[in-house]
Amino acid sequence: MPANWWTRNRRYFLYTVREFTALPMALWLLWLLYDIKSAGSGAANFQPPRSAAFVAFSAVCFLFATYHSYTFLKLAGVIMHVKVLDKTVPPRAIVLTMFGLWAVASIVIGAVLIGFAR
Amino acid sequence: MSAAEHLPAGRGGRREAPGGGNPSHKTAFSHLFFWFLFANGGGLAALVLPVHILVQGILGPLKLAPVVDQHYDTWVSIVGNPIVKLYILVLVALSFFHFAHRLRYLLVDFGVKAAKSLPAQAIFYGGAVVVTAATIWILLTTAPLF
Repeated sequence: MPANWWTRNRRYFLYTVREFTALPMALWLLWLLYDIKSAGSGAANFQPPRSAAFVAFSAVCFLFATYHSYTFLKLAGVIMHVKVLDKTVPPRAIVLTMFGLWAVASIVIGAVLIGFAR
Repeated sequence: MSAAEHLPAGRGGRREAPGGGNPSHKTAFSHLFFWFLFANGGGLAALVLPVHILVQGILGPLKLAPVVDQHYDTWVSIVGNPIVKLYILVLVALSFFHFAHRLRYLLVDFGVKAAKSLPAQAIFYGGAVVVTAATIWILLTTAPLF
């Protein structure tokens, strides 16, 4: 297979982007661990993340993470088979539920991260 | 786009179960365990990572919203909460197993045959284990519970 197979077809390109989303998300989670660790260095040495470079890095990671969410949650209707009262739940309903869960989780976590700040 | 292209099995459903060589030789429990890690890691990251990145990575640093990790006292307070510690551990452990599997097979798709080898599996999935162990250490030593 030629090395550039993934650039020859839009589907392959999007597939590759989807798989690649794991890298920026992993890097951002590693940064989160560093941020948590920095809380152990004491108030005097604590440096909250505020640099432009960090914001740019996060913006890129956010785009990839959102694309991962969209593609992964859209899959739910294909890979999940749910029966309620002996009737199969339509895939569309499962996908809508997953996107609804995404919205609820985002609101709850956003509320905690912002609501517990001073 | 066909459904098969979206499945974790990759293009045309060719992928093996995570952590496995030949799926036919694996027990049902082994499959269940590895697919549990892969699917839940991807699902959890999909549900919660974007809002973490948006709030902690963009809104907080730009001062568009007050965020817990912008001040020492609020950050230590929330990181010291045992429920938050458990949440972070589960998020990191499951997500990194998912990431390891996706990135290893991305290399396979790019023609890196060595990515299928046992050492590659040890590096990728072992890396996920190392990150999980580091997370446990960080959570236990930062804002300790006791």
